[in-house]
Amino acid sequence: MDPKTPTCPPPSAASEGAPDGQASRRDFLQGALRLASGAFVLFSGGALAAGLPKPGAPGEGYDWSEHRYAYLIDTQKCIGCGSCARACTAENDVPEGFFRTWIERYAVSTEDSHVDSPNGGKDGFPPLQVGFEVTKSFFVPKICNHCKETPCIQVCPVGASYRTKDGAVLVDGERCIGCGYCVQACPYGSRFILPETHTASKCTWCYHRITKGLKPGCVEACPTGARMFGDMKRDGDPVRHTIEHDRVAILQGHLLTEPQCFYLHLDKEVR
Amino acid sequence: MPEIQGFSYPNDIHVVWSLMIVMYPYVTGFVAGSFIVTSLYHLFGYQAFRPIARLAMATSFAFLLVAALPLQLHLGHPERGPLVIITPNFKSAMAGFGILYSSYLAVLVLEVWFVWRPAIIERARRSRGAARAFYKLLALYTYDTSPEALQVDHRAIGLLAGIGLPMACMLHGYVGFIFGAIKANPWWSTPLMPVIFLLSAAVSGIALLIVIYQVLSKVKGRPADQDCVAALARWLWFFLILTLTLELLEIVMMAYERSESWLIISELLTTRLQFSYITMQMIVGGLIPLILLGIVVLMNRYLHERLRNTLATAAAVLCLLQVFSMRWNIVVGGQLLSKSLRGLRSTMELEIFGREGVLMAIVLVIVPFVILWVFDRVIGIDATGGVAEAPGGEGDAPAGVAGTPAH
Amino acid sequence: MEHARHVFRAIILLVVVVAVVSIGRGFLVPKSYGLHGAYRHDNVKEQMEVRAPRHGGAAACAACHAAEAEKRAAGAHKTVNCEVCHGPVSRHAADGKRIAAADVDRSYLLCARCHRKVLARPEKFPQVVLEQHVKDMGADGPVEGKICLDCHHPHSPTP
Repeated sequence: MDPKTPTCPPPSAASEGAPDGQASRRDFLQGALRLASGAFVLFSGGALAAGLPKPGAPGEGYDWSEHRYAYLIDTQKCIGCGSCARACTAENDVPEGFFRTWIERYAVSTEDSHVDSPNGGKDGFPPLQVGFEVTKSFFVPKICNHCKETPCIQVCPVGASYRTKDGAVLVDGERCIGCGYCVQACPYGSRFILPETHTASKCTWCYHRITKGLKPGCVEACPTGARMFGDMKRDGDPVRHTIEHDRVAILQGHLLTEPQCFYLHLDKEVR
Repeated sequence: MPEIQGFSYPNDIHVVWSLMIVMYPYVTGFVAGSFIVTSLYHLFGYQAFRPIARLAMATSFAFLLVAALPLQLHLGHPERGPLVIITPNFKSAMAGFGILYSSYLAVLVLEVWFVWRPAIIERARRSRGAARAFYKLLALYTYDTSPEALQVDHRAIGLLAGIGLPMACMLHGYVGFIFGAIKANPWWSTPLMPVIFLLSAAVSGIALLIVIYQVLSKVKGRPADQDCVAALARWLWFFLILTLTLELLEIVMMAYERSESWLIISELLTTRLQFSYITMQMIVGGLIPLILLGIVVLMNRYLHERLRNTLATAAAVLCLLQVFSMRWNIVVGGQLLSKSLRGLRSTMELEIFGREGVLMAIVLVIVPFVILWVFDRVIGIDATGGVAEAPGGEGDAPAGVAGTPAH
Repeated sequence: MEHARHVFRAIILLVVVVAVVSIGRGFLVPKSYGLHGAYRHDNVKEQMEVRAPRHGGAAACAACHAAEAEKRAAGAHKTVNCEVCHGPVSRHAADGKRIAAADVDRSYLLCARCHRKVLARPEKFPQVVLEQHVKDMGADGPVEGKICLDCHHPHSPTP
């Protein structure tokens, strides 16, 4: 305010109508129009006015902004026992024929390659005969990659699929309309439509466990330590250290989905 | 249980988008294609299409009314379908459906209203009782059919056609975008996809109109206007050439580049999709109509009326099959190959009954014809309401099909 | 403009429909939608509490079965979580009390899942061709019906 202008009418008086109290028809129409458009904007803008963003804590005692999870798989250690897939099924009630995680077996020579995954590896792997001389063979566990720039969230038409601040990609089963677009968009085949609820489902990194400081069920079960779970924001985290310092690979990197599942000792045959 | 050849990711063996997702672009293709035909007359003044301009608009309208049904039938939770309008995620091409569909519906409803307003008013004047009240409501209680009012209508129709044409193209083009933007599926991922979808929509719309026009001519006992049939054949041939060129270009490009997915895709096309792609889409639905229409267009001068009608109709029916096969090959074909690029599953089994069954698809195609029939009974597709033609040749009185002769 | 009255009627009708839909939509958007992104934020808490964790890890079993836990920790199976063979602890105990037996498959199939020699298993990992192993141990007949546990204690399997 300019100190040289001493008289400044109080704000409340300035917003009233004409001082003599007689509202003209034009004033009335203008006021009504403003009121109507204001109400229109308020109501059609949704209920955002009702809630203010809370500083990051979806639950008591857990602050998601303090974590950024990552998953690490060492394919050299995997023995193909399938304990991870069984534990996942038990932990998350995954129906038969659908897989939140699975294991693939690769039998490779310089000329040919063969891949199999009988029932996702849940019952282990049977002996295998292939029609060529195998020079190398290995197991590759697969899981939802919880990508940073994931196409599955981009294509969800109703915002049922989303990424939490601590890095997990989740599906809101209450809002999913079951269109199946996200299933088509995932380059890794991680998603499926649940036959009972007709909504999309996938690995959640056992969100109900990791937010309590536990590891996902698959990591808990793995007997050889092939699967590892870590926090990129925690000092001294071994998974973080490996990702930052060792040679790690991701699946289908050319698609720029920025997966948060990293692999050690991956082979060119693995897609 | 599907048979898998090679290796598929374990979740990939389920086909999520089935017959209803094949029907949806088929139906919106009719909407867009018919609207292109009617806009050629109403917007660009292409006189050859005058006899069917109204029929085309009514057809577009009838199919638009059922266009949302295949989607609702497919959804896991159809009752949550409106969420696409309530909380749309605009990064998703599918969320565009809510806005595109409702705005195009508004434009087409308005345009239909303006075009048939004189006919509605005429019916209001001629009927009594409840029917009269109904027609008065449809006319929004205004009865002005003076030349000035018709001039206003004429301008409004032109404006709406101008807005409506890109909207109709977007309503169908976004479906192509939905497929083309999926980088995860190499059979779908190409920038050509929206263009191919739109061009084949034009093919299906024009082919449909040829067939309807011929059937109605037979039923009403009036000969089909031959200039119109020749023009329809010409435009169908034009769009068919473009469509086939682009569809082939996609394959040729993939094969030439030896793209990472070409091996599994060529196996898909030569094994699982051998009948629907090579036989139906390319030969029966592509090469043969190309030849038939070529005869109709290039030898137009020498053709007897009956031969022209027969050839055009035969070609149109084959084109309708072509567009259906194309939709099938893209939607279902794309899901037969696994994202591992190492496996193919056996062809999807079609169910007869059920939400996504064959019977439902047939009903879905019949309903718009029922709507057209009701439209013809209630208002009259070619009824002009007895008004004189507005300057510029809007209020049309066709030489051929249905209804009241021009006054 | 007198002859365009019908146009205004149509436009007003359209505007009313659009307004009703827009306003109605506003009431139907859930309260927590949009707080942190284009999703219903309340779902995050729901996912955190979707169910109680079912697997407890070896530490959960050691709370009651200290002896077995010690034996396991000293043997070749020290990295093998109890639940891999016995199933999730939630089926066996709740609130610190036993609710059902933690059943385990005592046939050779359970052991074979890890230790049968199959293609792709790392060379250094202990695995045997079962038929050969049966013969080497001086038994005969098929593998079915043989019990690995007869010679190998599961918690410390090196014989």
